[in-house]
Amino acid sequence: MISPDTTHPPHSLRLRSGNQMMAEGALQAGCTFFAGYPITPATGIFKTMIDLLPARGGVALSAPDEISAVAYCIGASMRGAKAMTATSGPGWALMTESVQYALMTETPLVVALVQRLGPSTGGATQGGQGDVLLAEYCTSGGYTIPILCPTNARECYELTILAFTWAELFRVPVIVLSDKETGMTIESVDVGSLPSITSQNRPSNFAFRELGGFRQNERKGTYYFDAIHEIPVFAPVGGPRKVTATGSAHDKQGRLQKNSPETLEVLLHLEQKVRWRLDDFAVVTADLQPAAGTLIISYGITARAARDAVSEARRMGERVSHLIVHSLFPIPVKKITQAAHNVDEVIVAEENMNGLYRSVIDRHLAGKRVRGVNKIGAMITPQEILEAIMS
Amino acid sequence: MSLSTEQKATSGSITSYFVDQPRFPFCKGCGHQSVLRRLNDALVSLQLPPDKVALVTDIGCIGLTDALFKDIHTVHTTHGRSTAFATGIALADSLLADGKLKTIVLIGDGGAMIGLQHLVHAAMLNVDVTVLICNNFVYGMTGGQGSGLTPECFVTATTPKGNIVPPVDICEILTASNAPFVARTVATDRSLSDLLAKAIAYNGFAAIEILELCTEFAVPQNKLDGQRLYDIAKKNGWGVGILAERMDRSPYAVRYREEVLNKTDVVSQLDAIHRIGTRIPTLKKPVSILLAGSAGERVQSSAGLVATAAVAAGLNITQKNDNPVTQGSGFSVAELWFSAHEIGFTGITRPDFLLVTSVDGWREMYSQRVFARLDRSSALYIDETLQVPECDGVVHRLKLRSVFGGKDAALGLLVFVLLRHDILPRDLVLRVVREKYRGDVDFFFTRLQQLEMESDRGNVSR
Repeated sequence: MISPDTTHPPHSLRLRSGNQMMAEGALQAGCTFFAGYPITPATGIFKTMIDLLPARGGVALSAPDEISAVAYCIGASMRGAKAMTATSGPGWALMTESVQYALMTETPLVVALVQRLGPSTGGATQGGQGDVLLAEYCTSGGYTIPILCPTNARECYELTILAFTWAELFRVPVIVLSDKETGMTIESVDVGSLPSITSQNRPSNFAFRELGGFRQNERKGTYYFDAIHEIPVFAPVGGPRKVTATGSAHDKQGRLQKNSPETLEVLLHLEQKVRWRLDDFAVVTADLQPAAGTLIISYGITARAARDAVSEARRMGERVSHLIVHSLFPIPVKKITQAAHNVDEVIVAEENMNGLYRSVIDRHLAGKRVRGVNKIGAMITPQEILEAIMS
Repeated sequence: MSLSTEQKATSGSITSYFVDQPRFPFCKGCGHQSVLRRLNDALVSLQLPPDKVALVTDIGCIGLTDALFKDIHTVHTTHGRSTAFATGIALADSLLADGKLKTIVLIGDGGAMIGLQHLVHAAMLNVDVTVLICNNFVYGMTGGQGSGLTPECFVTATTPKGNIVPPVDICEILTASNAPFVARTVATDRSLSDLLAKAIAYNGFAAIEILELCTEFAVPQNKLDGQRLYDIAKKNGWGVGILAERMDRSPYAVRYREEVLNKTDVVSQLDAIHRIGTRIPTLKKPVSILLAGSAGERVQSSAGLVATAAVAAGLNITQKNDNPVTQGSGFSVAELWFSAHEIGFTGITRPDFLLVTSVDGWREMYSQRVFARLDRSSALYIDETLQVPECDGVVHRLKLRSVFGGKDAALGLLVFVLLRHDILPRDLVLRVVREKYRGDVDFFFTRLQQLEMESDRGNVSR
């Protein structure tokens, strides 16, 4: 279309939306299957995958609803594909049945959840951070689902790759929680400096055999583990090792059972395999200042405003620390308590009404004065956070 | 995977896919048992390698089959969704793996109805999935409630006076959904295993509705026996036998390979416009521009065009768009930040430049109280036909729409402001405009000149 301008050196700044970067991150991670259903503000991910994935030998297709979209992904993942879908709050509500199924069957899955204003159909073209707990606590039993939260287009790329690594290694559904403003805003991204890493792969029978281990476990069952936090070796449906998959309570062989000790152990294992790796799941950006009296905690789109507010506060002579939480769940408790160690006051800024994330980290901030900067319908501005810092 | 010696006949063929001495978890006389036996017979007749068969089961009595089969894969799913999970398995197998897997779904009448969408779409796609819809007219597992496939007058737990709602003809729905293979029969049909073998062997979507007796909840209440199943079919106008067998439909995987897979990127060319080189950014401090106009008047696309010039100028940029839920009516807004440094907050509370091209944009700026926030460091550029709002900004009225017309007003004004205030290098701005109009750009520059002249003549201020 346009020939490169030879009078200037080549460079690698590109215009990208967060949605596009999430799709490109998925491709970099080796995603081979995407099924989607259009919904503002997540459609850009779907569209980019439709445009890019088939050319790379993968499958991207339209499903007739969100339930089908996520079920296609889970089925494909069971067959061995790295699979992803994308949606927003209303579509997420439909997907949660099957996300629980992925969790129960230990099927790797990445879901991009691009938040918009709720409840119900809410505001399709308005942002929000109101799905934080709806996403995390979508399972009966409150199983921990890892949630990663990018603040800009570049992080959409990086955290999507990480989401695939977690999904694959730990055989869990992983959510990348974005929002309208992160997903649809177009910004300059230095694509030349993006990490060239890809995601890791699920521990397969083949890989373990190569490593000389687990051979004796091959016939012990689809969900076999010795220690409770161990990840069962993955075998694809259609591969040489028989798979017995089920969303019902089951033993290590996948046999439907009611309340046997082994079945309860499997249920505990679904949580313990994540809990046991808490430190591995902690991803934060800590900008801490010695002798700071206040700690700002932010995530997602609001982190950008918080960063500006913190700079301005420091310019005005305030001592203030800032912690951006990228891995919302499992809650990076150590990182949060370390950051809050010496401060008197913690301010959690998030674009929702009641301080959703604040409500779940509050208990880890005992002895601190914990406040929120909250708002719905528009992005929280740096000025609003600054006022909270100064008051 | 090695087969047990019991399963290997002397000829090396498989004589059963069941476990040794299968214990069927069904009520005495239940049709599910004979359906599963016929399914086993069909698999035996096809001699499929067990690891190349996946049995995907739904919730309900018919789903309680995992433990009956020895070496084939079993996937027990959620209510109604079995066909959708099977579709995912089949898609990945046929397009990303060896394409040898036969995926079979066992679903009841309740599951067929709650998962109707999945059946319809699997039929539309024509994935290699065979669905056995085991229709015993009731939800057996939960106590015999009526389903969408329950015949009229049928007595169930939820229709104690007899069903007053005519049932759907599931085969007709699937035929109308372009399912290439559709059949209906009864559980006692002696040729059922042949029919199942034919359906499974078929490379594509096949649905077989099997009418059955629920001995617990349908038989006593409705005085049924096996022969009556044909009467029920007849009374409801349900055809029996192979109802659709189309040779003209290619499986989805075949069509996908032909038309989609490994074809050129659709958007890889997008980046070409960005590869126009870089320069050391010259912008001293961040600049914000808020462009407000009407949907359909290229507001956001013009902002995007300018953004490419900004990137070529080595600047960081954010473009935050806003519009109502509709795509082609109402306001359209783009908020642009240009900066030599990383950009934090992407919103614009008080723009350096507010550009209003239409009454839709005016109304939105008014309702968002943007006019009211302008101060003396802000410049408002506004079409002369629009009311000048009460504000503290420096106001410039322009013959924008009369010079450029609605379609080019947004780009015209953006370019005008960028050049007038030296926000971006002139050559880069003009270059992206030239690219947009593919060289046929004289009209645009003529109008730009006209606007510049008009504004110099003193039409600029309030």
